[in-house]
Amino acid sequence: MNFQFIHILLLCIASAIFSEAQQNSSIKLLTTNTSFNVGNSIVLKFSTGNNSQPLLYCSNSYGSTIITSTLQNDTLKFKIPENITKKIGIVNWKLLSEPDHISGHFTITPKAQVATMETYIGPPSIEAGGKDYSMLVVIPTDNLDNPVPTNTLVNIKHQFLNTEESNNVFTKNLIAYRKIYSQEKDGRFLVSSESLGTNSKEFTLNALPSIPSNFTISVNRPHNYADGNQITTFTTSVIKDEHSNIVSDGTFVNFFITNNKGNILKSSGLTIGGVATAKIIHPDYGDTWRIKAYVEGMAESNSISVSYQQIIDDFTVTFTNKNRNINIGPLQSFMKQMIPDGMQVKLQIYHKNKLIETYIKTTFNGYVAFSLKPEIFKNGQYNFTFETAGIVKEFKNTTLW
Amino acid sequence: MKPEKSNKYLIAALLLGLAFHGSSIFFTLETTYDALIHLFFADHYANSWFEPWNYEWYTGFTVQSYPPLVHQSIGLLSYVGGLKFGMFSVALIAIVLFITGSYRFSLLITGNRTVAGYASVLAVFSSSFVETLHIFGQLPSIVGVSVLMHALPEIYLWIKTGKKWYLATCLSLISVTVTSHHVTPIFGMVFFIFPLIGMVIMDVSREQVNSNREVTFRVFLNSFFKLFKRIVIFGGCSLVLIIGCILPYWINSKANPITQVPIPHGSRDNFLEITSSGLVFFLIPWGVLLVLLPYIFYRYYSKRYIFFGLSITILTILGTGGTTPIPLKVLGETAFNILTLDRFTLWASIMSIPLMGEFAYRFVEGDLKTLIQNKLGAIYHRIIGGILTGLFVFMVVFTMSLNYFRPSQPQKIKMLPIVNFLNQDDHDKWRFLTLGFGDQMAWLSAQTNAMTVDGNYHSARRLPELTTRPIERLENSKFKGVAGIGSLQQFLTTPEKYNLKYIFSNDKFYDPILFFCGWQRLRQLENGIMVWERLNIPPVSSILPKEDVAKWLKLHWGIMPFLTVLIAFILNIQMLWVNMLKTRIKPPTDFLKFHITYSKFNRNVLRLTHIWSVFLASVVFYGIYLFYLKNDSQRSPENAIITYYDALDFKEFEKAHSLINPNSNLPIAQYMLEISVTDGLLSSYAKMDAISTEIKLHNDSTATAKVYTNWITPLEKIAKTDYKSLTKIKGKWYLQSDELDNDLPPDQLYSNNVTKYYNQGRRRITTEQTHHEDILKQPVLEVITAKLVKYDGSYAIIGEIQNIDNVPADVILKGTLYNDNNKQLATYNAKYHVKHKLMPKETSSFRINFEGIAWSKTQDSIPDTFNPDEFTPVEFNEQPTKFNLQVAGNVAGSDLYKSVVLSDLNITPNQITGNLFNSGIQEITIPQLLITYYDENKSMLWVDHLFVKEGVRQERKQNFSYSILNEGIVKTINSSMENIFVNGLPNDDISNKIVPNRIFNHISNELQPIKHPNFSFIRIEINTYIASPF
Repeated sequence: MNFQFIHILLLCIASAIFSEAQQNSSIKLLTTNTSFNVGNSIVLKFSTGNNSQPLLYCSNSYGSTIITSTLQNDTLKFKIPENITKKIGIVNWKLLSEPDHISGHFTITPKAQVATMETYIGPPSIEAGGKDYSMLVVIPTDNLDNPVPTNTLVNIKHQFLNTEESNNVFTKNLIAYRKIYSQEKDGRFLVSSESLGTNSKEFTLNALPSIPSNFTISVNRPHNYADGNQITTFTTSVIKDEHSNIVSDGTFVNFFITNNKGNILKSSGLTIGGVATAKIIHPDYGDTWRIKAYVEGMAESNSISVSYQQIIDDFTVTFTNKNRNINIGPLQSFMKQMIPDGMQVKLQIYHKNKLIETYIKTTFNGYVAFSLKPEIFKNGQYNFTFETAGIVKEFKNTTLW
Repeated sequence: MKPEKSNKYLIAALLLGLAFHGSSIFFTLETTYDALIHLFFADHYANSWFEPWNYEWYTGFTVQSYPPLVHQSIGLLSYVGGLKFGMFSVALIAIVLFITGSYRFSLLITGNRTVAGYASVLAVFSSSFVETLHIFGQLPSIVGVSVLMHALPEIYLWIKTGKKWYLATCLSLISVTVTSHHVTPIFGMVFFIFPLIGMVIMDVSREQVNSNREVTFRVFLNSFFKLFKRIVIFGGCSLVLIIGCILPYWINSKANPITQVPIPHGSRDNFLEITSSGLVFFLIPWGVLLVLLPYIFYRYYSKRYIFFGLSITILTILGTGGTTPIPLKVLGETAFNILTLDRFTLWASIMSIPLMGEFAYRFVEGDLKTLIQNKLGAIYHRIIGGILTGLFVFMVVFTMSLNYFRPSQPQKIKMLPIVNFLNQDDHDKWRFLTLGFGDQMAWLSAQTNAMTVDGNYHSARRLPELTTRPIERLENSKFKGVAGIGSLQQFLTTPEKYNLKYIFSNDKFYDPILFFCGWQRLRQLENGIMVWERLNIPPVSSILPKEDVAKWLKLHWGIMPFLTVLIAFILNIQMLWVNMLKTRIKPPTDFLKFHITYSKFNRNVLRLTHIWSVFLASVVFYGIYLFYLKNDSQRSPENAIITYYDALDFKEFEKAHSLINPNSNLPIAQYMLEISVTDGLLSSYAKMDAISTEIKLHNDSTATAKVYTNWITPLEKIAKTDYKSLTKIKGKWYLQSDELDNDLPPDQLYSNNVTKYYNQGRRRITTEQTHHEDILKQPVLEVITAKLVKYDGSYAIIGEIQNIDNVPADVILKGTLYNDNNKQLATYNAKYHVKHKLMPKETSSFRINFEGIAWSKTQDSIPDTFNPDEFTPVEFNEQPTKFNLQVAGNVAGSDLYKSVVLSDLNITPNQITGNLFNSGIQEITIPQLLITYYDENKSMLWVDHLFVKEGVRQERKQNFSYSILNEGIVKTINSSMENIFVNGLPNDDISNKIVPNRIFNHISNELQPIKHPNFSFIRIEINTYIASPF
């Protein structure tokens, strides 16, 4: 009850104040129109009883300004400047005259006319498969750079492979937008839009293959001997995603190779046209490899097995010059040809059961020579261990003199 | 009375000085240490005279940290003919000031116009002046000391006569000195003006009595009290001026005290140990004066000059730096480490100029000549004269050409391509860094508006990353050992903190560290400078913080220096006019009355000089002998080995080859071929740090050597042990040549198909922003695992990341640690422990270390030895319990070489050895192994790395050996994947969208089992650096 009373009282006071203000005012608004088309010139007219020319404060979303008037036959005319009439939206105004502050607002409405199409598309690349999408946003604008009225028709078109599609959308909250979903195939979408006869430029949207699915691998090598020199190539089948799109070039495929010792070797390849190739040098001792390739976390290959045949079963060691010149060889390969240069030969020299020196040399024309200087290796008994191609040969109690 | 005649000697000195120095500065000044720094300051004034804040260096510093007069003069003259014109003009002015100053100072001391003339001629060629100008380029210092010398006679006259005019002139000149160099008047007060005051008192005392003998201490004290008022007035006024003229400088010093830790300077070395410092900071500045030392001391210790005697003694001793412990004790630790002690030697040599003139006069036409001719004969006099002048000329020529023999700077770099690059495409919106530019970086800064994190005036810097390091510049950090590279790598790892995007590298030494810190090469500019770029760096914000000072300080700083010059000019012009043009008769000034007559040269001094000269000569010859012994490369096996390694280090292959046993018939062409095919961290990027040998002589002509070498590389320190055998042939030791790797690849010519990428950048040439449609999408990455762990006392975020996009990605990982209350504790980026470039679907393990600002807490315990791999864990006051990981991907188009194969592996309990095989068509310069450790459940625990020291050539193998980590428990603190973001989006969302059916632990069957108490499996990944990709 009390509340209602206070409410009514307040209302009465308020209306009294406002009506007083209205009555005291000697200046009155003559212009009745509160909605103008953008770009048209706008003049606000007021009737006035005296010769004073108050200023008009005017503000829209871009800023505020003060306008002077012209006085003609007791009519004040305020010409709203172009920078305001060119922008759509609400314009608030207030007459700066004491004591009467007349205020009001008018609306500038957009033109149903399109001069430019402001268009954005993103992201520029999506994944094929129908789940991923990109969004096209179109803002058709008139020649004064104002967005067009709500519900203006925008026609969004795109081409993909053999299909061309066109969709009608309507502007809302100044923009029109549409999600463009990928399809199963990868490829390039070309996208454009049209509104009221004006066309946008062309936009590109790439649909890239999605994640790879399982594949197979094969092996290719010049021979199956462990000569430590030739190169074995592993090749994958054409790797495709679940929709049979060939994965993008450069996709990284890891090849893991497990040898007889249980150690894990590794090579890798990058796909070109879906096929990744990886290379590895032959081992220099007989071995069997189990090979499996992975696109980590996504796809894997079958597991294959490759054997390398030992080529050297034995080798000759000759001691000359007081046992100080040691010649190893000929090291021969599978057809009795000299083994290609670079096969490692390791010599370990023990004196009194203590390793005193290790030499590693590589073959040249099938031979390796060591020469033991008397200054370094004093006369005495030594043990020698030679190792090459996984074979170890020991010579015990060899005397140097 | 007739007007006095022009002094022919002075005119000759001026002409000679201008001709000699004036023409040679054009060839020397730009390669000096300091000249370009002054040029940069001048450029600052030329652009904003009244604004002391400079944004270009050190993320901002104030130029009120150095007296401005010389800089402003260059800046003012630059309006006429450019900065370099300004610099050379000021240098010419400095030369004139120095010569005339020397003349006036000598006249004051000796009171004899002919002697002063001699002195001025000799001053032109004094080696300390030549060095200060042509080697050091210290223009402000030269101007300061020259003007001080001009002030000295005026000070004398004021105290002697008490005429206020002289007070005005001397104070005006003191102010000019202050505004050009602050240290000069402060120390000049002590070392020049105090002795001068003593001398005035002596002269006044002398006037009261009849002979020198009668000048007792009592008389002296009486005169002192008589003159006390004048002395106090002068002292008080000059103190006011020293403070007042550069008041903003003092205010700034108070507000921003120098927090810089001491930076090593050659002048503090022990000159006997580090002979190069001894040469530059002792031998050259003293030059021929060394021979005259007995005479100089004898004269300065005579009654009239006794205070100069004390002064020059102190200066001489202080100038010896770390050779004797005295300077350290006298100056105290702080002053000793801040001051460069070479200035004391410079002042001592300048103080000696009058006496050098006097000696020359007496030797050429005075009593010394008579004495020598009578005692030792005319021929001896001529020979001695020849030797002395020969020495004198030799010192000048030697000093002038020092830069030719031992260049202190890299070759002159053409800056225009860099300036153009920075102006292009908004490149100056980021900070840049130069590497290997020497002091020329200042010249680059003067020419561009772009900012650098580095700078060349270390007293002004404020970044704790720099002030805690004893390094001059980041730019030459390789010469500064651990502190240098350690500091540099922190800037390279977290460049976004400084908006550092571009690096101009003039030294390929830094390439590996840039690469492994995640930088990529952009292109080589026309001048050969390589541009490196880091992706994902935000531009410098358009509003930068600055420390503003009051407007009156700015006005004071901008106006005062030239005002002092103007006032000094007005006050002294009359004197100049009279002195130069002899327009009117001037009574002889007071100090001219006190000259001595050169009638009888002290025999003992001559004798002493002889003994001293013989001593000096024997020292010199002994030094040369030692030098010969050390450099005779084949005298001993040690020498041969050290020379051989030195030659290899400096890439003097011909010299190295000459040390190879000639009987091995190894032609140089073959030797060069063998050397040139070896590439890698050790052979291409290492600088030898230390070498020691253990020689075992088997008989007198055969030896084996165990050579221990330490190498500095940009990535880590390498210790290496080599075995060499040596043979003595005809009294000379030779090394046996090393065995060759005979490995022969199977293919002569082979092909390789690779996918290459090219990013167009802007497709349309425009100065506007890049078009929306030209901006590439950031590649999508996924963090597969990530956890916060603690191992060996330090925290780290480890994990695995995969590029799940279809384009190659450059990866930047930034980790932040929080405590339970979500308080941020530390943030850092992944450095070496990640493959920064990932192909589509490629994975990489990563580890983010949390590095503190190295040594910020432990200033005294900076290790002296160099270890670029040095790691200072950040100190945590609170326990980190959570982490946040921000991953950013950007499209990468380079450094995508993946053709490297792990072709053999052998595992022992604490060692992994194996072979890497290069299956592609590019030579791998530095292979890097990333070793991930797993527990028995195949869950990640730790990531380690190994840089293989040798490169891998195409189709060839390279063995490596890796030591498995020591025992130690890795504690997993947090393995929540909650706060992980990729390109700003939550990791889970991305993962669910792109790889919804991920196979977790996919390769768990392919992990390498190891026997270790804490770790059960490892995985090896390989990353490669290619020095010259094609």
